[in-house]
Amino acid sequence: MHWYSILSLVALVICLVACSYHFIRLVRYGAPTDFSQKLGNTGTAIKYSFTGAMKPSKKESAYLHLPTYSAGIIYHTGTFLAIIIFFLQLSGIKFPVALEYVFSVVLIISAASGTGILIKRILIRKLRSLSCADDYFSNILVTIFQFMTVFLLIGDIYQAAYYIAVTLLLIYVPVGKLRHLIYFFAARYQLGYFYGWRGSWPPSKNY
Amino acid sequence: MASFKKLLMQMMINGNKQKALAILSRGDGKLKTHLNSCVRCGLCADSCIFYLATGEERYIPARKVDLVSSVYRRYNTLAGKLIPGLVKARELDEATVTEMVDLLYGACTMCGRCTAHCSIGVDISYLVSVGRSMLAEMGMVPSTLQSTVDAAIKTGNNMGIPVDELVDTLEWLEEDLQDDLGDLSAVIPVNKSNVSILYTLNPREPKFFPLSISAMAKIFYAAGESWTLSTKMYDVTNYAYYSGNIDEAREIARRLRDEMFELNARTCVLAECGHGSRSFRWEGPNYLESSYSFETITSVELISRYLHEGRIRLDKLRNKERVTLHDPCNLVRSGGIFEEQRYILENAVSDFVEMDPYGYDNYCCGGGGGQLAMSEYGDRRLKAGELKVKQIKNTGAVTVVTPCHNCVDQLMQLNQVYKMNVKIKTLAEIVADALVL
Repeated sequence: MHWYSILSLVALVICLVACSYHFIRLVRYGAPTDFSQKLGNTGTAIKYSFTGAMKPSKKESAYLHLPTYSAGIIYHTGTFLAIIIFFLQLSGIKFPVALEYVFSVVLIISAASGTGILIKRILIRKLRSLSCADDYFSNILVTIFQFMTVFLLIGDIYQAAYYIAVTLLLIYVPVGKLRHLIYFFAARYQLGYFYGWRGSWPPSKNY
Repeated sequence: MASFKKLLMQMMINGNKQKALAILSRGDGKLKTHLNSCVRCGLCADSCIFYLATGEERYIPARKVDLVSSVYRRYNTLAGKLIPGLVKARELDEATVTEMVDLLYGACTMCGRCTAHCSIGVDISYLVSVGRSMLAEMGMVPSTLQSTVDAAIKTGNNMGIPVDELVDTLEWLEEDLQDDLGDLSAVIPVNKSNVSILYTLNPREPKFFPLSISAMAKIFYAAGESWTLSTKMYDVTNYAYYSGNIDEAREIARRLRDEMFELNARTCVLAECGHGSRSFRWEGPNYLESSYSFETITSVELISRYLHEGRIRLDKLRNKERVTLHDPCNLVRSGGIFEEQRYILENAVSDFVEMDPYGYDNYCCGGGGGQLAMSEYGDRRLKAGELKVKQIKNTGAVTVVTPCHNCVDQLMQLNQVYKMNVKIKTLAEIVADALVL
């Protein structure tokens, strides 16, 4: 195994340990406690929080911003694909050439979406006013990771560059906003529980 | 004078900073989740009435979240401690506190619309309430809002109405009710024990809108209900929920709970007040860390129940003009009451039209979050209400019904400022107009 593969493995362990810390901490806090008289169904609402409530038609953040929303979805899909490819790469599994090209096309579109989101953040004053170094750095790391994966699959790249990009990303995940990888699911759960307890989610059938 | 105020503020911040920061260190999964979830995508901007009405970037909900979470990062995360510039971790200092006061109190009604539409699911209004609690710990609650809370703590109601003044008002309302119904047995009972219902009031009712008390009394009369008002603790509101002072919020909730025990009433019916309903029904048991042993419902649910059970009958032809409904955020989005008010209006008026958007997605009127008590932000509040004005005008309605006295106040002011020429009524009033006796 090359030194750079080992380096990325060490980064992966650090990333997993740090993310596990966040995850275990949340689990240890346990389910929310509410002393009020329950009006709705928390289980159904949590399910709704991850499904119906996530539909673009239900969220202004999606239907009023369809290009950004779509870019975000594609970008996240690409990120998960690149992560899967990284694991398969570590295991020594080789893909058929045709599949490598399919993955590459997906990743090029996804990385381009990420670049678009970054440019939007830089150019639009409203977003710039909200942003900090973490926002730019997180995006750049993930986008580079996706481009590097494309180069690894179909390009001619010095493998060390790919693994160094992966290493940097993995180390950074628990540090900045990329840890929403864990907290996103917790937030949807908490929100579903909150609205479910009070009977606001799922919304009335007559709505 | 200005430098004295500044010095005083610095002393208050420095003296209570640790207590404020302790709130962020609580071992609470919900708190930790929402503090760590925002990705600053900014897509929440279009869900906020303050941002939509003014276009000012500082009003974007994510900015309000960041005020609280950046302080959290500074004191509770490794990155925030070592490289604060990278993750935007802020000191809890005078500049941060000044911005927090302005944005968390002065530019948010805690309506929760941004929460429901957040791409991640960050409970933004919850984090605003956490930020307000931090400010309350440092003694930074706007004096106008605090004086409302102080009045409730000292006198038992937020308007400081003396008991004899309340009793006088109730007595003449009772006489009017008896004249109106031609029945001397029609009463407004006070301090009766062993009744089915203890009915609460928003102190604005005896002070400014006594006819809404008559309207509810008429409904109780028609339903043949066993009910009472309390002169000791009748105030449904709890402005400490908005100020963020949990100890005071707990005390106010405790008094109403204790009055339920004192009068041995079976059901506590919360008057038409969005935040009052929320603070007693949903937040109260959590302030007190114990469940209520009695039923707690809103008057909206009660009237709907009467209609379903056939205990009251309505003639919708008595309300022929076009009516629209303003859904109070605390009752609908954060309280799950959606069907009931619509069922009531279907039966009480002949021309009902919804606003767009409505229900769970309805825009706040701008009067929530304690805004009506904080006169220093009055211009901002009225500007934020512009969206509501547009919504109402688009319906072509003659009457706007809303089951919330806070909303009634804000809508009345909007009516005057924006010359909407509509009538503003509570749900009980429109139901009383349609009652078949």
